[in-house]
Amino acid sequence: MKQFLAAALLLSPLAGLMAQDTSLHDNLVPGEGWQEAVTGFAFTDGLATDVAGNLLFTDVKSGKGIYQLGPDGKVNLLIDNQPGISGLAPGPDGRLYACQNKAGKVVVFEKDGTVKELIKDVKPNDLIVTSKGFVYFTETPTKRIHCITPEGKTFVADEGHVLRPNGITLSADQSTLAVSEHGGSKVWAWQIQPDGTLKGGSPYMTMLVSPNNAKGEALGDGATTDEKGRYYVTTELGIQVFDAMGRLSGTIAPPYLGAKIVSVEFAGPGRDWLYVCAGDKIYKRKTNTRAAWTTAPAAAKP
Amino acid sequence: MRMRLPVLLTALLFASQAPAIDDYKIGELALEKPGVPKGSLTQMPTWNSKVYAGTTRDWWIYVPAQYSAEKPAALMVFQDGHDYVNLKGNWRVPTVFDNLIASGAMPPTIGIFINPGHLGEQKPQSAWKSNNRGKEYNTLGNTYSKFLLEEIIPEVQKQYKLVEDPEQWAIGGASSGAICAFTVAWERPDKFRKVFSTIGSYVDLAGGHAYPYLIRVAERKPLRIFLQDGANDLDNPYGNWPLANQMMFSSLNYMKYDVKLEYGDGQHNSKHGGSIFPEAMQWLWRKQ
Repeated sequence: MKQFLAAALLLSPLAGLMAQDTSLHDNLVPGEGWQEAVTGFAFTDGLATDVAGNLLFTDVKSGKGIYQLGPDGKVNLLIDNQPGISGLAPGPDGRLYACQNKAGKVVVFEKDGTVKELIKDVKPNDLIVTSKGFVYFTETPTKRIHCITPEGKTFVADEGHVLRPNGITLSADQSTLAVSEHGGSKVWAWQIQPDGTLKGGSPYMTMLVSPNNAKGEALGDGATTDEKGRYYVTTELGIQVFDAMGRLSGTIAPPYLGAKIVSVEFAGPGRDWLYVCAGDKIYKRKTNTRAAWTTAPAAAKP
Repeated sequence: MRMRLPVLLTALLFASQAPAIDDYKIGELALEKPGVPKGSLTQMPTWNSKVYAGTTRDWWIYVPAQYSAEKPAALMVFQDGHDYVNLKGNWRVPTVFDNLIASGAMPPTIGIFINPGHLGEQKPQSAWKSNNRGKEYNTLGNTYSKFLLEEIIPEVQKQYKLVEDPEQWAIGGASSGAICAFTVAWERPDKFRKVFSTIGSYVDLAGGHAYPYLIRVAERKPLRIFLQDGANDLDNPYGNWPLANQMMFSSLNYMKYDVKLEYGDGQHNSKHGGSIFPEAMQWLWRKQ
């Protein structure tokens, strides 16, 4: 028995143990609330971070392309002529991957500025790229999660389980894929296999549903992960935070009452600022934690 | 055992003087005092609600003697309003407000006393029996706060100026009226930041038993909450009121809210709540 216990302790993810039983407020900084970081857009979305910690984002409704929020607080257009992007994620190779929701494609921006199509005739919503180069993206209306392998092979990794799959992220050690339900109350999780296939899918985390939602939907949307393995998922009630064991440890209030938040990411030089998209604006707040992993550099300006 | 008569009589005398449970009495601050300016209490025309379509209800407004349009007033809304305006009851809010406003313990405050809604032509014999009460008070969510913020308060603001500072807007109630008051502040901390709750029904009448857990996993809201309950409050199919109120207190305390629990030996009535009401108002309205 003792040996078993010792083995079990050794096998438990350390990050998971460390993140246990912490109050939501342990991750937040007293007196530091939300502040406006970006304004003047229509429907901000697609938050990602480049290697320097700059925030990248899009405007699904009226954006020209991919924008970058610099350390000086100024926004510049990083990649032009790329409207209708709903999800962004940097890859391990330094390239930037994107869900072209309106065009029905997932693409990657090469370092020379050219755009390479990875899959077409899909309705991609959001995506994540693992350190091994596997791309996973959600297709909300078809209840599918697609995979694109580093060799460019595509397949449907899960179908028919997740109610309107939307936000997507990884565990801190990248062994687990997590997808939020927009049309339900679960965040699903799978073990990622060496060939990119998914195993052991289950409705792992349960989001709180607003009592004001008549359909009983949590409206789970964008998701990210911190260094302690906690998952951050935007919902109607706010950003719901789950520890590495999948337990709800708290809901960070939205920037203002009734804000419709759709994307969340850590950025800044220390990756300890939490950013959230709320319609025409992006808000930020300081935290006591930071992003789970350092992302690869974004594609250079073409 | 045989006892001599004098001993037996003495024993009986002591027994009769031992404190009985729930023997709370109103305090001195609930009595009218000479020289204290009296505010006005006005019954308003029966209200026909749109948010709760088809319902009618009675309501009253208290306006302190110190009110003037140049100095907007603070606000406190009482659910089951009929009980709080009764000048011979447990609460006697207009008299307590007169006394506390005159002494500076609370700001000049307009009181709204509102009954739950009733569907149908005939008013119920007792306002406690209003048939829409459970739906309006026990349901979680923002419907009741909409009713107050879109119907009742704008009607009051046609005549009176209220401060905009949410720290100066309070809401209270007893039993289901208490969880109703808490729900309004929980949903709209941008409007109401003070809650007065007695014998609160944080039990499963319509999901309200979730609050002690919801409080622990929600980012702290800027609320100040006064809770009262008694060890002899209800224990029934919906839950245990004394435990539920202690759960509320422990959750609010854990999350570092500005909270106080006055826990006595009362039953499901407003005797204890009424007896400590003036002190509760001093705590709720204190400056820091």
